[in-house]
Amino acid sequence: VAVAANPNAVRETMDRMLNKLCNAGLDMETPICVRLCEQEINPEALSSVIKELRKATEALKAAENMTS
Amino acid sequence: MARHGPPWSRVDAQQERDVRELVRGVAGLQDEADPNFQLALNFAWSNFRFHRFLDVNSHKIEKTIEGKAASWKRLTEEFLNAPLPSIKEIKNWSEESEEENDQQPLSREDSGIQVDRTPLEEQDQNRKLDPCISWKADEPDDRSWLEHHVVHQYWTARPSQFPHSLHLHSNLAAVWDQHLYSSDPLYVPDDRVLVTETQVIRETLWLLSGVKKLFIFQLIDGKVTVRNNIIVTHLTHSCLRSVLEQIAAYGQVVFRLQEFIDEVMGHSSESMLPGSGSVPKKSTEAPFRTYQAFMWALYKYFISFKEELAEIEKCIINNDTTITLAIVVDKLAPRLSQLKVLHKVFSTGVAEVPPDTRNVVRASHLLNTLYKAILEYDNVGEASEQTVSLLFSLWVETVRPYLQTVDEWIVHGHLWDGAREFIIQRNKNVPVNHRDFWYATYTLYSVSEKTENEEKMSDNASASSGSDQGPSSRQHTMVSFLKPVLKQIIMAGKSMQLLKNLQCAESTTCQAGARDAERKSLYTLFLESVQSRLRHGEDSTPQVLTEQQATKENLMKMQSIAESHLELDDVHDPLLAINFARMYLEQSDFHEKFAGGDVCVDRSSESVTCQTFELTLRSCLYPHIDKQYLDCCGNLMQTLKKDYRLVEYLQAMRNFFLMEGGDTMYDFYTSIFDKIREKETWQNVSFLNVQLQEAVGQRYPEDSSRLSISFENVDTAKKKLPVHILDGLTLSYKVPWPVDIVISLECQKIYNQVFLLLLQIKWAKYSLDVLLFGELVSTAEKPRLKEGLIHEQDTVAQFGPQKEPVRQQIHRMFLLRVKLMHFVNSLHNYIMTRILHSTGLEFQHQVEEAKDLDQLIKIHYRYLSTIHDRCLLREKVSFVKEAIMKVLNLALMFADGWQAGLGTWRMESIEKMESDFKNCHMFLVTILNKAVCRGSFPHLESLALSLMAGMEQS
Repeated sequence: VAVAANPNAVRETMDRMLNKLCNAGLDMETPICVRLCEQEINPEALSSVIKELRKATEALKAAENMTS
Repeated sequence: MARHGPPWSRVDAQQERDVRELVRGVAGLQDEADPNFQLALNFAWSNFRFHRFLDVNSHKIEKTIEGKAASWKRLTEEFLNAPLPSIKEIKNWSEESEEENDQQPLSREDSGIQVDRTPLEEQDQNRKLDPCISWKADEPDDRSWLEHHVVHQYWTARPSQFPHSLHLHSNLAAVWDQHLYSSDPLYVPDDRVLVTETQVIRETLWLLSGVKKLFIFQLIDGKVTVRNNIIVTHLTHSCLRSVLEQIAAYGQVVFRLQEFIDEVMGHSSESMLPGSGSVPKKSTEAPFRTYQAFMWALYKYFISFKEELAEIEKCIINNDTTITLAIVVDKLAPRLSQLKVLHKVFSTGVAEVPPDTRNVVRASHLLNTLYKAILEYDNVGEASEQTVSLLFSLWVETVRPYLQTVDEWIVHGHLWDGAREFIIQRNKNVPVNHRDFWYATYTLYSVSEKTENEEKMSDNASASSGSDQGPSSRQHTMVSFLKPVLKQIIMAGKSMQLLKNLQCAESTTCQAGARDAERKSLYTLFLESVQSRLRHGEDSTPQVLTEQQATKENLMKMQSIAESHLELDDVHDPLLAINFARMYLEQSDFHEKFAGGDVCVDRSSESVTCQTFELTLRSCLYPHIDKQYLDCCGNLMQTLKKDYRLVEYLQAMRNFFLMEGGDTMYDFYTSIFDKIREKETWQNVSFLNVQLQEAVGQRYPEDSSRLSISFENVDTAKKKLPVHILDGLTLSYKVPWPVDIVISLECQKIYNQVFLLLLQIKWAKYSLDVLLFGELVSTAEKPRLKEGLIHEQDTVAQFGPQKEPVRQQIHRMFLLRVKLMHFVNSLHNYIMTRILHSTGLEFQHQVEEAKDLDQLIKIHYRYLSTIHDRCLLREKVSFVKEAIMKVLNLALMFADGWQAGLGTWRMESIEKMESDFKNCHMFLVTILNKAVCRGSFPHLESLALSLMAGMEQS
């Protein structure tokens, strides 16, 4: 069910929620995240995925730096 | 819960793309063939599809909130106060058949909020759940779940069972009802709706926050009323009602103020009919800044008020301590009294103003009201400290646009006043170069307390007043707090504008731009002075310094933010951005400094010196204005004197009109007098001009182009007298702008009058001077001795006794001539030295001391009127002047006759002349002596003395 009444307010609220509650430090990926949220993906799931991916990426990079 | 499986669609393809992009972006893995990429992608999808996030971790959320408490709270409040988005959401929570019932006022807060969770959580839940989850499938379960967990919907009109509290001693209502039932046979218990005290408290809090759709308090026709059939179990109906009505009054105040705020912000109010067709007038008119500033101050007050209310509500929800309505009202008591004060000020200052009043009057009335209120409460003393602080913060905020307008005007010479609310208005029709610029550019708008006359500035130099009276029942003065410095403001503003124009004409480079960024505005200076004044014991100076640094950094930050905002509207203007940034900064600083009770008026130290608030204010604001006034007017004077050679022009006027340039003018007028003596036509304008140019060109070459002389035939009745032949001569000197503000055409007229008088005196003197004794004798001799030069002594010898009468005649003429000469010379000396020279010295001295242009104009005018008076040109003393003219005339006729020769004379005419002269002389001496003895014209003493010396001893 689409919330038709106040899409702007919804988006704004979600933006704030995403940025503040999730604390995931989103910058570049924000538009993508917004799109995904609109497509009915749970924002908390999204934020935890992003966090995990970042952790993993950093671990990978650290590993690569050590080996090279 | 995640979606139940709809088929793979285009949307999902989009999703797939987005998720891949996300992985690429976050993990930095660009290559899709990379096993890491696939791992990451699978991880993401598994989380999205199969997570379970229904249970929110409440601790986590609380932490986040505490970290960003204030703004979050405000957001929450805004959110909470937002009207219902749509009917659709309500549908989700009720059966479809009952949708009509739910048109009942339903506030958002109640629907979502619950007892055992924080309201914010619930908001999140709702928001998150709405887009993701469709309720329709699960409705009946949801409804019962909601009914269990959500507050009982006391607003839906279900006829209730008889209210009965579980608590043993809280059944007063039931007891009372029982009593009424038993005592009054006709008593019928009404249908009442039972509410709990908590609900009452919460509705009170919502009412005071400005929520309109409530159950217990209803807004009918703009008036807050208490619903009639409410009951709590522990109070009787009427008791509850009376308590609630008191609260309703405060709610009314809140609504009224809120309405004002909305109105000024431009929101359409509920009362406006949709089809009214009236475009909100704010869109085309310039914003009325004073009202906006006042609204802003109120708005900030309400924000802090709402924060307090939200705090209380949170306490209630937490249910940690007992909270009753009485406790809440008590806690809010200071706020409520502040509301009363605000309402009083508001209704006097804004609400009671007739709708057609001009913005000028409105603004000044509002400021005056606030100011008076402050003074009133200030006089009460320590008891109303809080009120004074509140009113003071309101006033300081409201006066900001006014001071900014003043500041802009007196520093830059621009009067920007879109809504025409400043008491001084610019006359657009008068450009700067216009002759009347100095007088007509600005109109002082003021409505005085006197019955009919408008209050005009005392001299004509500052402004021409063009105003009409206010409504007769209410007379205002202009903005009272600016009154003492109004003159300086006007002078500074006009001088600044003139200065800007002069500087533009000279095309000086404006380093003003760079200086301006560091310059503190009048408002900032004022605030700083007030701060340092009112915070006696505190160390405020280091605060100011660091503030300045912080201000600069913030300025940079804010500027970039402001610029990005502006770019949204396609405006690329860095200067505008800087100004916006400064504006925001000042406001935020101000908010921190002056919210409500932050300003502690330290009365103890002030009471020692018995200084009132008024004096404090004056010492904080007026010195800055004065300083700017002195600066800018001094600057203007310097410019005029140095760059525009004002003093030199004044001297030039005196040289030519007042004959201080003696030799030059001598050359000029003698050429005219010679022509008159030779009875040739001299009234030729070109001849006059040529003579003038020749005379002036020798010593004052640059002035010769500016001087010109003209002649017009005045009424010929007077012309019979020889002394009036010169009437009609007009000397004019072309003075360039801006010096002609000082040396105006009216001034030149006066100069010309004095010039004419001087010319007449000089003519008489000249005529008498050029007479040669020998001439007279020779003409007497002409019929007898025609050959050779006749020497005086020979003449006497040659005349025998039979020439006695002729000799006597000649002697008497000599005597008369000498007497006349003495008279004319005394008069001439008197005027040239005693009047013109000494007055001129005084004038010069005053010009050096003049502080502003108005003063200079006044000095100049006073100088001219002094000369005019002392040259006896005033109407009142015209008889004296007539007498003098008579004597001059006599002298001229005498000179004529002398030249015509003795033959034309008869004894009688000589005697007549003598007696005429004697009479005039006597008359003048008597008059002058009288005046001198009376002490009314001390400067005439020397004239009186010298004339007296010439009198015969009779």
